[in-house]
Amino acid sequence: MTYLMICEALIRLIHTRISFELISFTLAIRFVSLTLFIAGQSRQCTPHSHKNQVLLPLITCAYWSIPATFWSRMATDLNYVEIEARCLQELQQLKIEEENLIMELNSMVNQKTFIEDKIKGLSFLIPKLNVMKNEAEDLVSTVNDISQSSEKISGKIRQLDTARSHVDECLLRVNDLIDLEICSQGVQQAILDLDYEKGAAHVHRFLSMDQSLLKRTANDMNSVSNMLKSVRTLQEAAAQLRAIVEHRFNEAVNNEDLVSIERFFKIFPLLGMHEEGIKEFCTYLRTKVAITAEKNLKSAINLPLADKRYSIVYADTLTLLFEGLARVIDTHQPLLETYYGPGRLLSAVVILQKECDSQIKRILLEWSKSRQIQKKLQQITDLSRMSSSASFSKIEKSDPKDLDILIGEITLMHFRCELYIKFVQRKIMADVEVGIADKELKEKTLKQLDQTILNSVLSQCKHELLSHYLQLEQYFMEESVAKAINMDILETSQQTSSMVDDTFFIIKKCIRRSISTGSLDGICVTINNACRVLENDYCSVLKARLRQGYPSGYLDLSQAYNVLQNSIQGRLQTGDTEQSRTAFIVALNNADSSTEYVTALCDNIMKEIETSCPNMNLNERGKLESCLSGISAVSASLTAIIEYGGQQLKSTAVKPRINPWVDTFMNFSHQLTEDELSAYEAGESFVQTLIMNLETLLSSFKEILSSNNYDHFLQVLTAEVTQRFEKVIMKSQFNRLGGLVLDKEVRSLAGYITSGTYFSVRDQFARLTQIATILNFDQIDEINDYWGNFDGAITWRLTPSEIKSVLNLRVDFKSDEIKRLRL
Amino acid sequence: MDDYKFLFKVVLVGNAGVGKTCLVRRFTQGLFPPGQGATIGVDFMIKTVEVGNEKVKLQIWDTAGQERFRSITQSYYRSAHALILVYDISCQPTFDCLPDWLREIEEYASSKVLRVLVGNKIDREDREIPTHVGEEFAERHNMYFLETSAKESDNVERLFMQIAEDLMKQARMTNVPRYDSNSQNINDSSGQESSCCNRLT
Ligand SMILES: Nc1nc2c(ncn2[C@@H]2O[C@H](COP(=O)(O)OP(=O)(O)OP(=O)(O)O)[C@@H](O)[C@H]2O)c(=O)[nH]1
Ligand SMILES: [Mg+2]
Repeated sequence: MTYLMICEALIRLIHTRISFELISFTLAIRFVSLTLFIAGQSRQCTPHSHKNQVLLPLITCAYWSIPATFWSRMATDLNYVEIEARCLQELQQLKIEEENLIMELNSMVNQKTFIEDKIKGLSFLIPKLNVMKNEAEDLVSTVNDISQSSEKISGKIRQLDTARSHVDECLLRVNDLIDLEICSQGVQQAILDLDYEKGAAHVHRFLSMDQSLLKRTANDMNSVSNMLKSVRTLQEAAAQLRAIVEHRFNEAVNNEDLVSIERFFKIFPLLGMHEEGIKEFCTYLRTKVAITAEKNLKSAINLPLADKRYSIVYADTLTLLFEGLARVIDTHQPLLETYYGPGRLLSAVVILQKECDSQIKRILLEWSKSRQIQKKLQQITDLSRMSSSASFSKIEKSDPKDLDILIGEITLMHFRCELYIKFVQRKIMADVEVGIADKELKEKTLKQLDQTILNSVLSQCKHELLSHYLQLEQYFMEESVAKAINMDILETSQQTSSMVDDTFFIIKKCIRRSISTGSLDGICVTINNACRVLENDYCSVLKARLRQGYPSGYLDLSQAYNVLQNSIQGRLQTGDTEQSRTAFIVALNNADSSTEYVTALCDNIMKEIETSCPNMNLNERGKLESCLSGISAVSASLTAIIEYGGQQLKSTAVKPRINPWVDTFMNFSHQLTEDELSAYEAGESFVQTLIMNLETLLSSFKEILSSNNYDHFLQVLTAEVTQRFEKVIMKSQFNRLGGLVLDKEVRSLAGYITSGTYFSVRDQFARLTQIATILNFDQIDEINDYWGNFDGAITWRLTPSEIKSVLNLRVDFKSDEIKRLRL
Repeated sequence: MDDYKFLFKVVLVGNAGVGKTCLVRRFTQGLFPPGQGATIGVDFMIKTVEVGNEKVKLQIWDTAGQERFRSITQSYYRSAHALILVYDISCQPTFDCLPDWLREIEEYASSKVLRVLVGNKIDREDREIPTHVGEEFAERHNMYFLETSAKESDNVERLFMQIAEDLMKQARMTNVPRYDSNSQNINDSSGQESSCCNRLT
């Protein structure tokens, strides 16, 4: 093989290169000799002669492919010696290659026998393989046989199964057939005997059979006619029974034959007439409800005005209607459940609801007529339009007191509606829970319940009632509060006037009444309205009274106040200081007392709502809390009003009096000798006079101000006194004894004020006390006992430079020593 | 728990069926409720949003449009910080009722309340109120204006976020005057002093 490849390569070379005439002589010679050599080699080594036959023409071809021009050029152009040397060199190289090739060939020849042995060994295996092949084929055929037979067996089993189910079906059919026979025979007799229960039971049995199965049985049987006859009989009997039962039921209804009504009501479901039965029966119940309701309404309309229950007679009528319906549902539900199965209450209630709707409509119509609702509502809207444009006092106003009773009735009516709806929801939900297993159907039924209630006239009436209620309640609240403010009166020995108690009584009453409607929306709206009335109508009055200011003077409170109230319509007389002072103080007290009312109101409402609506969800609670937060806003308004009043008092009642009293301090000498000191202490000292004056001022307020307001007033006063005192001290000069006296005086002043209040006024006195302490020093350096970073050092309210200025007030302290102090 | 800085009450009003509930649900729950029943009374929902790193709690009151609930819904106007008045761009009567609504707002709401006019349902093909008509109405009555689609969630987020931002800006502004009044006091007292000096000279 290698020879052949080499030769082919040579031929390719010869044809490409040589044809371009670029080859040198040496190369040409080398080709020839190489070819010759290969030819020789192959002749030597290969035993097969056919290779020589291939090589020979190659060699000739190699020779002849060198063009003649080369041979001639070779002869002429080149030096022979050189050529010979080259040829020898080439030859040498070829010899080496030859040896290599020989070695390779030898090793191949050596392997030949070994391989031949192997092949021989393999040929021995062939017969064994044949045996194996035959055996495997046998095995395959066996396995096939087995699979085929098992196929057959399982087919048999399958057949057996079908057979058994056939047998079962057969048994069923036979049973059905037997029953069919019995039923068809029995049903006619039962009808003839008027034993409708028995007849219906036969039909029920017939209906429970698989009708398609019956049809097939008929096709399979020889005696078709017999069976078909039975089926026909039963079908006819069923139709007959249905007609009879329906007829007899109606007859019973007409005859008011309760026993028969119940009897046939129970037969309906046996005939597969569940919905019809419920419809017929509930329609009957409707008529019963209607009759009672009409009677009740008539007696309500005819109720004499003097009757105790006249004012709530329509609420009573409504209650009777709902109670009647609830009783109907309660008593018939077990019957329905027993004979019709659970899960069918909604169908019944839907029919009853129609009666409820038409009755409630009539009741509300009569009620509205009798109570003149539309007229009253119209009046209210007219009034609100008027008051916003101009004050037409000519318009006839409903007295809130008259409305009170009506509002009470509406509340009751609304609550009854709410209660009945809850009752129906609870009943049906429980029924659905037990009776309907399918989740989707359950959801659908509950949705239907929601829709039924939402679209009922009952719901619409309920919304209307709530709307009426809210309009009237709002009017009632506004008018009553306005009245309370107008008729405000101060009882002797009272700090607050009647408007506070009255207003909060009204507000509380309205909100409580809204709670009794059972509607969270109603509660929220009433709270909103209460906030508006309190802020707009109530707080504004208090603020207006405080804005008038507080003129100084002395007074007998209750008398002056009532005079003021009487003259309020005829404008305040100017200069009537007593009255305006009282008005101011009472307004301030009213505001204070109102804050307490508001806080209590918030707490109470929350508690009451929680007991009356225990199942509020998170959203409802959020809604309620948001509305209640409006009440806290009222609290904030009141606090601002009190603050405003305090400022008013300060500028008119405190400052103008306090300042001259404190300023007398500067009339005294504070550089005393021992003798002067004893004389001063024996006489009327500054602080005694000041305390006496303060006492008179405070006592005049202590009785008339509420305790919170008095504390507030005292704080305002204390701040004023201490600031002023500090100012005059800083304008005075002291010696040692003067300082001593001042220290005593500051202490007794602080003591006096502290004794009058629960509040600690020590804080307000801190600066003053510290100033007195400094002025009471023996030596300048005593300051080091107090100033510094050690236990017992006091918290200074004075800055170092302030301390130094205070020290400078002591005439006996040297100013350069003070300057040198390191603080 | 509740670490919000501002709480604003937003009240939606407008005729029945204009899509108030759908707008609120789209904003608070990110969905368009199928088979939405009419609102009874008033619904209450809360969403906390963030405006410039500040948490703002929006209390949204979704009122019923039906007439018989008017006495309930009116009572919520007073405490509202913002009122959204909604009409349906595919239903002329809902637009014609706007003046009535404005009268109610005028009567019951605070004068400072932020008022926004919203034309809803712009996804519908059968538009009856052109945008510019709504725009002009809003301008005439000094209201913001926006057209939305609760169904396609167009402009819904923007509506409420814009309101939150505006209310916050407003709240900050009302805080500022307090400082102003303080500084005014200082100015006043200095004024008095100077007048004293004037008298002396
Ligand atoms: N195409 C379209 N329909 C909408 C859009 N918003 C609401 N609707 C539909 O309008 C109907 C009324 O939507 P609601 O959100 O219940 O209307 P509402 O204003 O809350 O009505 P009331 O509660 O009765 O006052 C529903 O059938 C919604 O599917 C909207 O953006 N595009
Ligand atoms: Mg709605």
